[in-house]
Amino acid sequence: MAKRLGFLVDIERCFGCHTCELACKNEYQLDPDIRWRKVYQIREDAYAMPERIFMSLTCNHCDQPECLRVCPVVAYTKRNDGIVLHNQDRCIGCGMCIMACPYKVPQYNQKQKRVEKCHMCAHKQDQGQKPACVTGCPAEALSVIDLETFTVLGTTEKLPGYPDPKITKPTTRFIQPSIGVQIRRDR
Amino acid sequence: MDKKLTCSRRSFIKGTAATTIALGTAGSLFSINQSSFKTALAQEIQENKIFQNACPRNCYDTCSILSTVKDGILTKVDGNPDNTYTRGRLCVKGYSYTRSVYSPDRIKYPMKQKGRGSGNWERISWDEAYSEIAETILRIKKEYGSTLPICLNKYSGNFSIMQYGIEGMLASIGDHSIATGTPCWPAGIDAQTFDFGTIYNNDPEDIVNSKYLILWGVNPAWCAVHSMYFIQEAKRRGCKVVAIDPILTQTASKADVFLQIKPSTDGALALGMAKYIFDNQLYDAQWLARNARGYEEFFGYIKNNITLEWAADKTGLPKETIETLAREYATTKPANIWIGYGMQRHTNGGQNVRAIDALAAITGNIGKSGGGAQYAHLETWGFNYHAMVQEKPQDNRAHGNRAINMNNFGAEVLAADNPPIKMLWIACRNPVSQDPETSVIKKAFAAMDLVVTAELFMNPTVEMSDIVLPVTTTFENPGVNVSYWHYWMTLNQQAVKPLYEAKNDITIAMELSKKLNEMQPGSCTFPTAGDLYEWAGKEFNANIYSQFGINDWKELEKGPVKAKRGLIAWQDGRFRTPSGKYELWSEEAQKFGHHPLPVYVEEVKPSGKYPIRCLTPHWKLNIHSQFQNLDWMDNIDNTPRLEIHPKLAAQYGIAHNDNVKVYNEIGYFILPARITETVPVETVAAYTAWYKNRNYNVNYTVKAIPADMGKKATGMPGIAFHDNFVNIEKI
Ligand code: SF4
Ligand code: SF4
Ligand code: SF4
Repeated sequence: MAKRLGFLVDIERCFGCHTCELACKNEYQLDPDIRWRKVYQIREDAYAMPERIFMSLTCNHCDQPECLRVCPVVAYTKRNDGIVLHNQDRCIGCGMCIMACPYKVPQYNQKQKRVEKCHMCAHKQDQGQKPACVTGCPAEALSVIDLETFTVLGTTEKLPGYPDPKITKPTTRFIQPSIGVQIRRDR
Repeated sequence: MDKKLTCSRRSFIKGTAATTIALGTAGSLFSINQSSFKTALAQEIQENKIFQNACPRNCYDTCSILSTVKDGILTKVDGNPDNTYTRGRLCVKGYSYTRSVYSPDRIKYPMKQKGRGSGNWERISWDEAYSEIAETILRIKKEYGSTLPICLNKYSGNFSIMQYGIEGMLASIGDHSIATGTPCWPAGIDAQTFDFGTIYNNDPEDIVNSKYLILWGVNPAWCAVHSMYFIQEAKRRGCKVVAIDPILTQTASKADVFLQIKPSTDGALALGMAKYIFDNQLYDAQWLARNARGYEEFFGYIKNNITLEWAADKTGLPKETIETLAREYATTKPANIWIGYGMQRHTNGGQNVRAIDALAAITGNIGKSGGGAQYAHLETWGFNYHAMVQEKPQDNRAHGNRAINMNNFGAEVLAADNPPIKMLWIACRNPVSQDPETSVIKKAFAAMDLVVTAELFMNPTVEMSDIVLPVTTTFENPGVNVSYWHYWMTLNQQAVKPLYEAKNDITIAMELSKKLNEMQPGSCTFPTAGDLYEWAGKEFNANIYSQFGINDWKELEKGPVKAKRGLIAWQDGRFRTPSGKYELWSEEAQKFGHHPLPVYVEEVKPSGKYPIRCLTPHWKLNIHSQFQNLDWMDNIDNTPRLEIHPKLAAQYGIAHNDNVKVYNEIGYFILPARITETVPVETVAAYTAWYKNRNYNVNYTVKAIPADMGKKATGMPGIAFHDNFVNIEKI
């Protein structure tokens, strides 16, 4: 049965520690300047909580992947579980996908003159394991969900600073943070 | 995909180009090509060897690691799921380990510098290094009649029990000078020693049982990430979480309530709460009668001296807030307090910790699951430390080691007389970057005949040394690690061969001993040969075995083990104070010059010329001067910043990213501004760290002001790092 796998990012639990990012880098021993997953600080004025809200992002394995649509050599494929793969053997490094992806996900590797990106640890998932970022996050803020069966109650498709989901229909979902009481002396 | 992973693997190994490691066949092993991945993965698993390792840093979490090694190369690290505290996860620093092992920046062979700080390094052989060091040791000994002019400065860069070989080596040449004390946490240790008899915290996994949790000046979201899971789990089970801190920390952002207290006034808040608890009879009279000493005197003190108005004024928190906090804390059971190390880095830090401990005592929260006043523990550290205990050589003429205050190291090295200090041996430390008063430290280095530093990287301390000895990473030698927070013990296996010419400290000690004995038989009693695993074995004793429920340390090869008993601190009610009770009134404290009660000691306030407090806490991508120098960290963030509140910035005409000079009477540093409401208005924050390519060091402005406590338990008072006052200026 076809799936629509996506990441669920729990912003309530995430504390912006960047562990997921380095768990990914460690798993694939990525080059220093390549970031398949990246933790972004959400702009300070977006929530009533200065500086401390983050979103951990990687490829959104979109329902309508722009990367796939624009690639002239068909380096991208979408598996029937929804994972969007990039085949470096086919890639000619033209950078079309980099320009097309609203989330700046495909990364250009200067040394190889080709693109690379997150494949949701497809080989691990096929073995019944979880992606490296998911197993690495000390807050358990990341998980893989199947949007075909997952109840979206209480989750959102959009966060401040996250590009408009209409363009590529990303499968990433978020849980919003709850903001506690702050007794501050600057107020 | 094949190519990418293959290439990445190749470039990864290229970092080690100076060695002759066989690359093996870099096939398409990581292939996720649909048709072949299953066989590829199976093949990968077959060819990989998995080793047990432990993260040995000065970190609460002391993670259990599983290392993957292929063809003799460490290809990745994972958390070991057997450890129920770290739960199969590392942190941002832990996952970077391949980058330190294979960093092109590693010191690869012994080197000698012509002119300290000149960068004029020349490769020498180990034999040349040993010869020069041994000659200097023997010359100094002859000239001054003892080895007292030789000073060891070693501390927390690696907490494996195998690292104590270096103390042993120095002990084996005779009585010497030794940096004594600890910069991090001594005031709090003494405070808890006066109150309880020692430091001793509940198993942090027990946090889930708390119904009320105060995170008091502690930032686990950056400094003990694995504890955040237990905090969030407690919250899910209905625990209310309150964070008290001058800074709106990452941890505070996850709390139900954040209270922004004025720095260094934590004792006033605790005493204000105690006053409310007393007035409203919310204390646990039964617990106190059975377990405590001096509670009448304590209640007398708060009755006569403390008001809630005073506490509100001191702390900057509304009176009603203090009342609510006190009521909730005293009436929700069990209630837990986690006291951080930052809040005791003040001239009244120890007293403030005592006042917080008192809250746990008067509410009867001590000795209970879900309760307690957590600070740290050393309960699982009962090793033999046999490496340290060496006989003195027969011609040893001094009468014991000379203690040099680690927390005022530069000045005390310079002041040492009769005999003066002439040689430094530095291991597991980076004083030039991490100690207060950097300029004085540099002066002390300049006054030496010889400075030897054993290190991994070319850090500022190595830059000021004469000889640098390349040391192994934790993956290149065996060890055993325990934590000062959780209750696990992890064996650290040698996963890969030492890279380049790196050696571990015990091997260095043995080989230097050999050289010394060649030059002057009997001059060093340290063994000249030995098997490192046997050394590890000698650290164990019957007590540790029974505490961890093992019969032999080799059982650790199967995985980490957790202590079987003592997981709830003080459950037996047998305190280790002179009276055997919890001592609100402590004569021990009096002996060390403090008031016997946890009274309020005035906090230091800024003076006219330097009106801004500069806090220098820890940053999330480093521990002291470790990790931030690695390329993966640099890629996440390579710009240290001065955090400054928008109101203060406006007052000084500072905009985001403007360069700001932070200065006081002893020095300055310059940083771009990050304007943020996370810091209090009258306080700036800059993180203590060593960045590889930046001339940045907060300690140029930090004075070696002693904290109030630390002398009893650690030999020297701590450092009031956070009583650092500066002025700022846009440049
Ligand atoms: S590891 Fe988890 S908590 Fe840390 S930044 Fe990533 S998602 Fe957030
Ligand atoms: S996030 Fe970007 S790279 Fe990933 S599937 Fe969507 S469009 Fe493609
Ligand atoms: S630095 Fe601390 S949390 Fe990170 S891996 Fe090491 S012990 Fe674990």
